[in-house]
Amino acid sequence: MKKSILMSILVGGTLMCLSFTPDSKKPWNAPAAAASKANPQKGAESIATGKVLFAKHCQSCHGKKGMGDGTKASELKTEPGDFSKAVFQSQSDGAIFYKISEGRDDMPSFKKKMADANDIWDLVNYIRTLKK
Amino acid sequence: MKHLIIKYKSFFNYACLAMLTILLTNAGKVVAQGIPVRQDTSSDDIVSTTRKVVRKTPVKNTFESNWIIESQTVMVPSKGTLEFDIQHRFGIVNNGYSDFYGLFAPAIIRLGLEYVPVKNLQLGLGLCSDRMQLDLNGKYALLKQTKNGMPVSLTYYGNMVIDTRSKSNFVTDGDRISYFDQLMIARKITSKFSVQAAISLSHFNNVPGYIDAEGIIQNTVKNDQFTMSFMGRYKISNVMAILVDYDQPLTQNVTNNPRPNLAFGLEIVTSSHCFQIIAGNCQYILPQNNALYNQNDLTKGQYLVGFNMTKLWNF
Repeated sequence: MKKSILMSILVGGTLMCLSFTPDSKKPWNAPAAAASKANPQKGAESIATGKVLFAKHCQSCHGKKGMGDGTKASELKTEPGDFSKAVFQSQSDGAIFYKISEGRDDMPSFKKKMADANDIWDLVNYIRTLKK
Repeated sequence: MKHLIIKYKSFFNYACLAMLTILLTNAGKVVAQGIPVRQDTSSDDIVSTTRKVVRKTPVKNTFESNWIIESQTVMVPSKGTLEFDIQHRFGIVNNGYSDFYGLFAPAIIRLGLEYVPVKNLQLGLGLCSDRMQLDLNGKYALLKQTKNGMPVSLTYYGNMVIDTRSKSNFVTDGDRISYFDQLMIARKITSKFSVQAAISLSHFNNVPGYIDAEGIIQNTVKNDQFTMSFMGRYKISNVMAILVDYDQPLTQNVTNNPRPNLAFGLEIVTSSHCFQIIAGNCQYILPQNNALYNQNDLTKGQYLVGFNMTKLWNF
């Protein structure tokens, strides 16, 4: 009797834990129209602006080099990703723009904080430089 | 006393000269600050000719906060921004260990809320622990510095402060009220360095008085006080900057002339916060009180530390 109660608690507890485990690998695909948007910003000036914006808005979670190792990263339920990897960099500029702009789960939406879309494009351009 | 006034005046003259030199020498070379001019190409369907429209992009982030130490900046946040302010000024350091260099002395605190309902206009209110003064304020960006266009930003700031203490402190309700109007002009000179100059008028419906030898009540200071302010911000990293703020009273009063304010600060910005740790000789937080009642004298080491913190939400 005692064993069955213990087993029930164990199974129930495991299931409960699993149900609260964040789905950190949940796919996130930008809509085709957004992903195909062309980036109007380019050049060193745009990258420099993007670098400043990255330090202010992104670095605390995504880390200085975008590797997902920022000071707040451990508090996040969702994985912040690694911008240096080919998997991330294979996305189109439009897709990265969409994700910054709209946000999802722990990732906030920046479309109101950076009301000028060019700021987000500058950020995209800087994030491209983080590729290894 | 005279030599102090002369010292302040000469400092003021040098500050004016330096500010003018900076503005004039940079008038021709507007810095892009990382924001390139957008070139929108539009086609005319009927004539089928292509025109290039060059849009003058506003220079961004001349300052990162509504505040530089004691003063407002030309910045009006983007539409839909709600800002919560916590401002704190400790006591002056002169008392040494007895009040732990002012940190345990009675402090002045202001809590404020500002919102930007329409582009370029900010409205706000705040409550200050000093005489429980409630301030209603507004700020409007009249001109914005642009690349290859407007060389400076121009912003108006005004407030009305109501002393909300009990009626026994006043003869009439009008005595509770004071006003502050300020016109600010600023320029982002390089991507790291911005300067601002401002002229302000503080008006108090009621000022402290005294009874003279003939038994007549006289004002210790004038009801209107003009002040000139200069401030600068230099970025030492992408998120940190050094701040300086100097306020020079212009109006000469018979007695109790306010002291100039010189303050330095360190600013740290994040996505939704701005922290400023400051050291200066003003402690009243509300600008008209600093302009008229500041009696802390830097030459006697009467300075204090404090901080400004802001939290931003975007709706």
